[in-house]
Amino acid sequence: MINPHPGLPELEYVKPTSLEEASKFLADHAGESRPFAGGTDCFVRLRDGAWKLNYLVDVKGLDGAKSIAFDPGKGLTFGAAVTMNQIANNPDVNKYYPLLALAANSVASYQLRNRATIIGNICNASPAGDTIGACMAFDGVLNIHGVSGMRQIPLKSFFTGPGKTVLQPGDIVVSITLPVPPVGSYGVYKKLGRNAISDISILGVTVYGYPCKENASGYQFKVVLASVAPVPFESVKAEAVLAEKKLSDAVFAEAAQAAMDSITPIDDVRGSARYRKYMVRNLTHEALTEIWSKLSK
Amino acid sequence: MALQHITITVNDLVETVDVPQNMTLLTMLREKLSLTGTKNGCTAGECGACTVLMNGEPVNSCMVLAAECDGATIVTVEGLAKNGKLNKVQEAIIKTGGVQCGFCTPGMLISATALLERNPQPTEKEIRAALVGNLCRCTGYFRIVEAVKEAAKM
Amino acid sequence: MANVKKNENPTSPIGASLPRNDVYEKVTGTAVYTDDIQFGGKLLYARVKRSPYPHALVKKVDVSKARALPGVKAVITGADFPNKIGLYLKDKTILATDRVRFIGEGVAAVAAISNEIAMKALELIDVEYEELEPVFDPEFGASKEAPLIHPDLGTYSWPNFIFPEPGTNISNHFKIKKGNVEEAFKECAYVVERRFKVPHIQHVPIEPHIAIAMQDEKGKITLWASSQSPFAQRALIAESLDISPTDLRVIAPFVGGGFGSKAGVTMEAIPVALATKCKGWPVKFVLTREEEFFTNFVRQGLSSIVKAGCDKNGRVLALKNTMYFDGGGSCEYGVNVTRAAGYSSSGPYDIENVQTDSICVYTNHPIGGAYRGFGMSELHTGLDQVMDELAEKAGVDKVEFLKLNGVKGGDILDTGMTMHPNGLVQCIENVAKSLNWNEVKKPSSDRKLRGKGIAIAWKAPAMPPNAGSSAWVECAEDGKVTVGLGGQEIGQGTFTVMAQMAAAALGVKYEDVRIAGPVDTQYSPYEWQTVASRLTWSMGNAIRAAALDARRQILDVVAQAWHEKPEDLDIVNGIVVSYKSENETTLKNIAIYGIAKENNEGWIGGPIIGRGSFMPTYVTNLDPETGQGPRSVVHYTVGCEGLDMEIDKETGAITIIKAAASFDVGHAINPTLVKAQIEGGFVQGLSSAMFEEIRLRKGVMTNPSFMDYRIATTADTDFPLETPYVEVPQDDGPWGARGIGEHPMVPTIAVMGNAIYDATKIRLPGPPYSSEKIYLAMLDEGLVK
Repeated sequence: MINPHPGLPELEYVKPTSLEEASKFLADHAGESRPFAGGTDCFVRLRDGAWKLNYLVDVKGLDGAKSIAFDPGKGLTFGAAVTMNQIANNPDVNKYYPLLALAANSVASYQLRNRATIIGNICNASPAGDTIGACMAFDGVLNIHGVSGMRQIPLKSFFTGPGKTVLQPGDIVVSITLPVPPVGSYGVYKKLGRNAISDISILGVTVYGYPCKENASGYQFKVVLASVAPVPFESVKAEAVLAEKKLSDAVFAEAAQAAMDSITPIDDVRGSARYRKYMVRNLTHEALTEIWSKLSK
Repeated sequence: MALQHITITVNDLVETVDVPQNMTLLTMLREKLSLTGTKNGCTAGECGACTVLMNGEPVNSCMVLAAECDGATIVTVEGLAKNGKLNKVQEAIIKTGGVQCGFCTPGMLISATALLERNPQPTEKEIRAALVGNLCRCTGYFRIVEAVKEAAKM
Repeated sequence: MANVKKNENPTSPIGASLPRNDVYEKVTGTAVYTDDIQFGGKLLYARVKRSPYPHALVKKVDVSKARALPGVKAVITGADFPNKIGLYLKDKTILATDRVRFIGEGVAAVAAISNEIAMKALELIDVEYEELEPVFDPEFGASKEAPLIHPDLGTYSWPNFIFPEPGTNISNHFKIKKGNVEEAFKECAYVVERRFKVPHIQHVPIEPHIAIAMQDEKGKITLWASSQSPFAQRALIAESLDISPTDLRVIAPFVGGGFGSKAGVTMEAIPVALATKCKGWPVKFVLTREEEFFTNFVRQGLSSIVKAGCDKNGRVLALKNTMYFDGGGSCEYGVNVTRAAGYSSSGPYDIENVQTDSICVYTNHPIGGAYRGFGMSELHTGLDQVMDELAEKAGVDKVEFLKLNGVKGGDILDTGMTMHPNGLVQCIENVAKSLNWNEVKKPSSDRKLRGKGIAIAWKAPAMPPNAGSSAWVECAEDGKVTVGLGGQEIGQGTFTVMAQMAAAALGVKYEDVRIAGPVDTQYSPYEWQTVASRLTWSMGNAIRAAALDARRQILDVVAQAWHEKPEDLDIVNGIVVSYKSENETTLKNIAIYGIAKENNEGWIGGPIIGRGSFMPTYVTNLDPETGQGPRSVVHYTVGCEGLDMEIDKETGAITIIKAAASFDVGHAINPTLVKAQIEGGFVQGLSSAMFEEIRLRKGVMTNPSFMDYRIATTADTDFPLETPYVEVPQDDGPWGARGIGEHPMVPTIAVMGNAIYDATKIRLPGPPYSSEKIYLAMLDEGLVK
């Protein structure tokens, strides 16, 4: 039965000053150490014994961890220690990636958003992560430092299962780069919780679209679903409908149905599979209708 | 295990504290500095009773390691009144009747004070969104929201 | 802010919304709650080893390795404390002895110099269990097929108004047989019968349970606890330890929310027991939020079958109510919840023929204790929805139906008691007016369905017939007044209201009255418990009596000094005046040192100290087979709630447009505090209607954290709530007042259920009315595709 620790179990706090030092420490203490930024997920799991660690490695002081920078060529790059609130309030994010600001703002509470980080969200690979859909829609690429140095991994290939990623001992996700979005793009994040706001998602629907001459419909859409699969799930079937057919409300309904048909969610403490399927359909339809009114202008 | 030696400014006082490495900021405030105004409701970052300002921003102090706070500036509920004069939100919440058992009150006051700092004229929706991480079981929130509106007028 | 009613005498504290006298400490963070008390370095921390099985024999508990761990000062098991403990039916022990009966039940406890060491010690305790077949449903639990959870039930002790059935899992069976329901149903033009299931929920006080105990070298124990019941805890714990009550001192600081969870005795006994094994060391035990959710007290679940019938005009003729309460592994407190739900099972409806079976069943679920409403919410959930449906079937407007059938003064209630005058009709009219009941408004968009719901409610203080209150009032040299009381400030404003009453009865300013807190059983006068919405009425009477006693002493001595009659004197704002001679003197001059005789030949008077005591004398027992008796309860508070809401057809989510709650409080001593109770209670009720459920799967609570046990947040109360109260005085209440603490939570689930029905014509079998449940029901009924 659950009998969590009243505080945190005994552990050591490690604050490396360089990426090399950090990766070496994590590799040397594989299985008993973990990088952390906000701690909002980490501390809960340590208390209830889901994770047993001897060391928490603070990444907030490492190079680039706190920076948010927009480059008109490369796009937006922000570090591991950048909080949800910092993203939600950043002028460049709001100008070029408003969908990301919207998603970040939907997470938990103002207090938690002052600690929770997008990269932390990504690394914990929670299927319910609110901001992961936006990062995937923007084709995000993770910049990872490991014992062998830096490498890049597209977010699309990062998740391998619930709570599981391709990260190896010694790896630290230093930052994420979101390429410059196409001109005329628009996206929404529709989240369903139990309370009016602030809940962890029963499900979340990220829909993002932009003009694309190559497609028969003239547009390319990304449809990414949270809390309906073991990992954040991109509904290729729904995207195909939206790429191939001339867009209309009927096509949006068809795409929404395709999204619904493409998932096999589970029953869990937050919602049933049946409800999640219908909500994916309804929220995807709602999102497409909303985006279309902006895109078609 | 060695203690962590930190220097931290709390309510305008600079303190040097030796903390166990697994001690949270909340426990440090309550047990090492005897600042018991900040409360523990869940130790999971959900109820907001432990909310303090860290470098000007509200955080759940049960989700922050004391060891991380070297060089940080903290404000707790005990630091809101200056020279015995209550701040606007404290005065307003007395006026509107927004305090019952009082256990959520310190966290609420911190969150509300921070809100008015960054958004001096918030709408009702903005107030409710800013306080959504502070749970209250006694009041139903009506008079707390009224208090923030009143404080914004003061 | 809603209008505060003007009282006749603007300078009287009674009826004035005076600011709380505890609020300055609370807003500055200086208010002391139990965990804020400083004990210095010599403090031990307690943790409890808990059963992972819902039902099992405890074959062996080996604590030897735990005892040997450095830093551990005491380890106890159930065998060390074999006496039974309990408020009504004594069926539990401080820790499990030979059997565990719910997941999370304590089997052993450790006191160590740190929480880390205590947690390590728990891992070193070996417990051998033999699993038994568990019971997870109360109807099954009450049947002959169910395994027995308390085979020795017949050896327990209980008061003469509780009726357990040894040899079964039935810990109480309360019956009402008034009139003849079977015959009456035959006469009914319309009959409705429905099943309901109300899940377990938890009180969720923001301050978790905490208790600290220390035994000194002489054997005297001090217990500091976040407590609604310092005197009851003293009595029950002392009894179970075979010590005298006055050898156990309970100190009870401010409480960060109780709602019934901190009534009776639960986890407080554990640090006391540990303390007896390490004299001189204070032992602190704080529940984690997770433990708070399911190891201590919850509100029992209910499975009920409600059948009601009316004539062609909508006059209700018969009600049959069968209620199986899922009482959990111990029903020591829950048996009275069942009883209260039983004797109030007609709700505030005047019904000639009533048959009720209110059955409290042992199950292998968390312990059902006292929860705000004490059975009323669970009862009204089914009752008010069946009545709602009956009104519709009879073609009678729901508001008219409620007014037609609501109890009026003089009606004979389901127990045979005569109902007192009350403002139920006015409450109903207030709610109907607030919600523009007769106006059918269109939904705000094509995507929405709109509905209104209304329901009435009542509750009486549920307590033994001889629950008493006492108080003292003393004056100091500076003319200020101190009030001694035993009731707790748990947020409801007791300390403030009592100061107002003392000030009014004595004749001093409210600001000059102090409450002698924290309550300390060594010095404070006796109070049964801070529960049942009884303090304003019961403790108020005691305080009023004490203040009047002090006042009489003052007027007697001044009258004597002035050669006047006490009837011609008064005390106004602390000044004793004569309306005859216009003489004046301040309380300061006489409160301690008396008055010198004229010729300096002595003194009269002396320290003024008034005392008061109140205990109802007229509550009678009820017949075990029929539930009939002259006076089942002291009085009822009645009221009505309603709301206007929309349902989103795409998601099933509810948006509330407006709500109203109107209750007859007798006399609002502090109108703002009355409204604050109604607002908070309404939202707690709303939260139980929309979000809350202890999700039990094979005895396991699968959502023991705020992440998955959701309660109402600021974002969920973004609607206007009108709270017009009614004042039909209580004949034996102080200034006519009666209680309001629990009642605003009682009808809210039924109100929401009725509103959902109005919008969708779907009647869900039980709360929480989540967006998922509503959407899938609409899908299955074809309202959406």
